[in-house]
Amino acid sequence: MRDCLDDGVLQSYFDDELSSTRRESVMAHLATCQKCAAAARELENENSVLATALAPEFDAAVPTTRLRERIDSAIRGGQIINVERPSRQWLQSFSALFSFTPQRTFGYASVVVILALIVVFAVIRLRESSHPLAVNNTLPETTPAVAPSPAAPPKEVFPPAPVVAALPKSPTPGYRISSVPSVREKGQVARVKLLPGERGYLKTIAALDSTIKGEVGRPMRPSLRAEYERNLALVDRALAAARSAAKSNPNDPDAAEFMFSAYQSKVDLLNTVADARINNRQ
Amino acid sequence: MSGQARALIDSMPNHIESRATSLSFDEVFTLHHRAVFRTARAVVRDSALAEDVTQEVFLRFYRNLPSTPGEELLRPWLLRVTLNVARNTLRGQSRSMARDNEYHKASADWFAPAPEEDYERRIAIEEARRALDKIKEPMRSCLLLKQQGLSYREIADTLSLKETNVGSLVARGRKEFARVYGKIGGKR
Repeated sequence: MRDCLDDGVLQSYFDDELSSTRRESVMAHLATCQKCAAAARELENENSVLATALAPEFDAAVPTTRLRERIDSAIRGGQIINVERPSRQWLQSFSALFSFTPQRTFGYASVVVILALIVVFAVIRLRESSHPLAVNNTLPETTPAVAPSPAAPPKEVFPPAPVVAALPKSPTPGYRISSVPSVREKGQVARVKLLPGERGYLKTIAALDSTIKGEVGRPMRPSLRAEYERNLALVDRALAAARSAAKSNPNDPDAAEFMFSAYQSKVDLLNTVADARINNRQ
Repeated sequence: MSGQARALIDSMPNHIESRATSLSFDEVFTLHHRAVFRTARAVVRDSALAEDVTQEVFLRFYRNLPSTPGEELLRPWLLRVTLNVARNTLRGQSRSMARDNEYHKASADWFAPAPEEDYERRIAIEEARRALDKIKEPMRSCLLLKQQGLSYREIADTLSLKETNVGSLVARGRKEFARVYGKIGGKR
């Protein structure tokens, strides 16, 4: 039939969107045209399928009261309250912290580095304050560096050799410091931070060293001096290693013990040499 | 939609026209919040998100009160804003979820209807949504708006279409929906 209805017109007819004259002409056509009548029946079927299918979606309850409250409070305070999902949003923002973007990873790495630095710094400060002796030992360090008089007479400088030789294997920190007069110390000693108990050894060593070198009138025999310096270098190397080990493991008693025995070796060596020179002189 | 509901909706504009030229905020909310919420929920597929969208739509309406169209074109205006806000919300959600490795697992939960709905109802809603997903725009939006009782003119205004094309678009959408829905198994 030449005036068959297209889908749009038929749909408009069922949706009641046609003018009254157009509606009447469509009705008249449907009454006479089998094909369009069949199309209309199909349309009605599909319409009901659509309406039935979408009904659950559109018939579901609308939370009118809650919506009204939310909107009212948002308008009043410019604040958005979330009645239904506070915990969900909290969780979402919390879990968002653990989603790693490159920027966020970099940020976390920086935070970790900064925290690690803070911890290391705090530990160092704590150690320093928990060793009052070390602090006490470091305090007067600056004065001997400027005070020493190179012309100090040797006899005043060194204590009797047997006393020094009898230095205990593991001395109490500060032991003998008072017995050793203020003497010349190596320049570096004043700058280096001392470990607990080191100072006594260093003073003793300085005293012995100046005793040995103070014997200006009687220079050491070259072969003996070479032997002495080689041994001294060996002991110094061992001492440096032991000292750095003790410093990096401040809580390890073995490391400290090892360092003190290295000091003791040096003191022994110096004592032997000083003894020999004093005895020879006498 | 039942005949009663349609009659109610049809009667509303006439009832209001007899009063003031423009509606108060309260009246607009009372008249249109259901359509806004349902349209939003049909797009974002989540009641809580639909509430967010509804709130945003009415806040925009409140802020633009003087410049919003008169009551005749207000529903299309509200629903146009609703569709925009809902789609933006959906895009934001999809983007944030796509970053997640468990996107598919999460979206399965996310698209599910509210837990209080019974199993059959949830299946029905899910099947309808899956069928709607297969329908191209603007036919899909035509069906959604038509289903809520909007006139062709309002649909045309909401979706910026020619009113004369709406009948054909609804017809094509309806055919496509019936075909896809039948395949999915909704025609039980």
